[in-house]
Amino acid sequence: MQSKIRTKFLIYFLSVVVVLVSFFPIIWLFFTSLMPAKDIYAWPPNLFPSPGTFNNYIKIFNNSPELLRYILNSTIIAAFTTVTIILFGGLAAYALVRIKFRGSFAIMLGMLAVSMFPNIAILPAIFIVFKKLNLINSYPSLIIAHTGLFITMAIWILANYIRTIPFEIEDAAKMDGCGPFGIFWRIILPLSKPGIFATGLIVFIFSWNEFPLSLVLLHDNDMRTAPVGISLYPGEYSFPWETISTATFLSIIPVLIITGIFQKQIIGGLTSGSNK
Amino acid sequence: MPRLEERRFRLQLDYIKLHRNTQIGYLFVIPSLLVVTFVLVYPVIQAFLYSLTPEYSEDSEWSLENYFNLLDDDRFIESFNNTLIFTFFTIPAELLIGLVIAVLLNKEFKFRGIVRVAILFPWALPTALNAIMWRWMFNTEFGIINYGLISAGLIESKLNWLGKEPLAMIAMMSVSTWKTSSFMALLLLAGLQTIPKDLYESAEMDGANGFKSFWHITIPLLTPAIIVSLLLRTMDALRVFELPFNLTDGGPLNTTETISLYSYRVLFEFVEFKYGSSMVIIQFILILIMSLIYIKSIKNIDY
Repeated sequence: MQSKIRTKFLIYFLSVVVVLVSFFPIIWLFFTSLMPAKDIYAWPPNLFPSPGTFNNYIKIFNNSPELLRYILNSTIIAAFTTVTIILFGGLAAYALVRIKFRGSFAIMLGMLAVSMFPNIAILPAIFIVFKKLNLINSYPSLIIAHTGLFITMAIWILANYIRTIPFEIEDAAKMDGCGPFGIFWRIILPLSKPGIFATGLIVFIFSWNEFPLSLVLLHDNDMRTAPVGISLYPGEYSFPWETISTATFLSIIPVLIITGIFQKQIIGGLTSGSNK
Repeated sequence: MPRLEERRFRLQLDYIKLHRNTQIGYLFVIPSLLVVTFVLVYPVIQAFLYSLTPEYSEDSEWSLENYFNLLDDDRFIESFNNTLIFTFFTIPAELLIGLVIAVLLNKEFKFRGIVRVAILFPWALPTALNAIMWRWMFNTEFGIINYGLISAGLIESKLNWLGKEPLAMIAMMSVSTWKTSSFMALLLLAGLQTIPKDLYESAEMDGANGFKSFWHITIPLLTPAIIVSLLLRTMDALRVFELPFNLTDGGPLNTTETISLYSYRVLFEFVEFKYGSSMVIIQFILILIMSLIYIKSIKNIDY
């Protein structure tokens, strides 16, 4: 009995520590964004914003519209990347799992192998190609790069979901005279909605967070993504923490919301591939 | 039950016969193959060709000059060492913490959902912005970390976390561990959930205590999941870029500069594309060797 109580205590103690350590930096960032500069640069540090103020947020909306522009850029790129990957990757995953044509296994393995390529290794050549195509500092360059970077992972996750769709349904559609594309569009896509949704969320988060390619391909001030824009912001001006913490918090809000609401789908998608 | 299995298997065979259609297969895969070739395969081949083109001398068209120069480049050697040190210290720490969290989440208790969401956030946020958050927390003059350590009586005066030699590397390792232990935990949890519960029950009846059954049941059955998550994390750690870029800028005195960060600088700040390409190829080979070691060890334990 005593050991049971001890185990219970240990479980709750660990839980509290894990939750605190995970959330603390985010909460601290939020508190900092609510403080005026004189409260931020203080020793001992002010632990709570007292009184809290939204002045930093108002200042950003008025004086630094480029920080909002970065968030818009990131949203556009992540959204287009997600849609392209779901479409291309969905078709490929369906073909690889269900059509089982000659060479499909080799392609599957090849995809896994190239997904191990370090992203810095592709930087020099991809920069030169996009420069020749005159696409540096334009959305398509980064959308194409992100699509290539994350599509292999998406195909693996999608393939695991498509595998679970019963053959009988497809056969029935085949009998009714549905072609391969018709089966994909009318049967596979609707039936693998949860898988597509989970994959889409993960791709969106990966694209939103990607750094080195975004840094190199979109370096104009107007075109930067949120992580790049905010990370270069302090370098060019002074080091205004009240603005940076506010901009950082603003730009993680989309990820915070997505992760908070859809945590089950994200975890399901992330772990579906690892046990195969 | 076996009847049903047999029926399913036949259906599957019929299905494959009915649908085996190589042309359609290729048609569906081509868009993905094209984009992967353009973004991943071609650039790596191209980087390899660049790396064989001399950066400085013009005697010959092809040579290993860039690679020989790497051996004399102290800054490259240091960045190579930094990357290895960073990897070899963070990965075991992440594995240990990840394992503890995974075992915790595998137990039934109230508020388990909250713990599971909580660990997802450090992973889901952009590493670059994580690094920026932590840079402020590590600040010498006003940082909350110095305040916490002084209040707890662990240090006497403010430490210059990001500006002093071993401290900056320790800070970088801590942020990485904070960010990715959760990812490790989720992968390991998925592995834990596949271990049948009755194994533990029969072990308990045989008189095994908690630690014994953990060591003799959990660890062996979890080994594949452990190796997969180690593989994924090692590849990530060997190419760490935005963490030093945003937390320490490679300082102090390049002691936190990784291969990725130095090659980025050579490529885009010094604009030496051919020399920089030889660095990314070395990094590529390093990652390849590590992956092969892990993959071989998975094969060895496969039953």
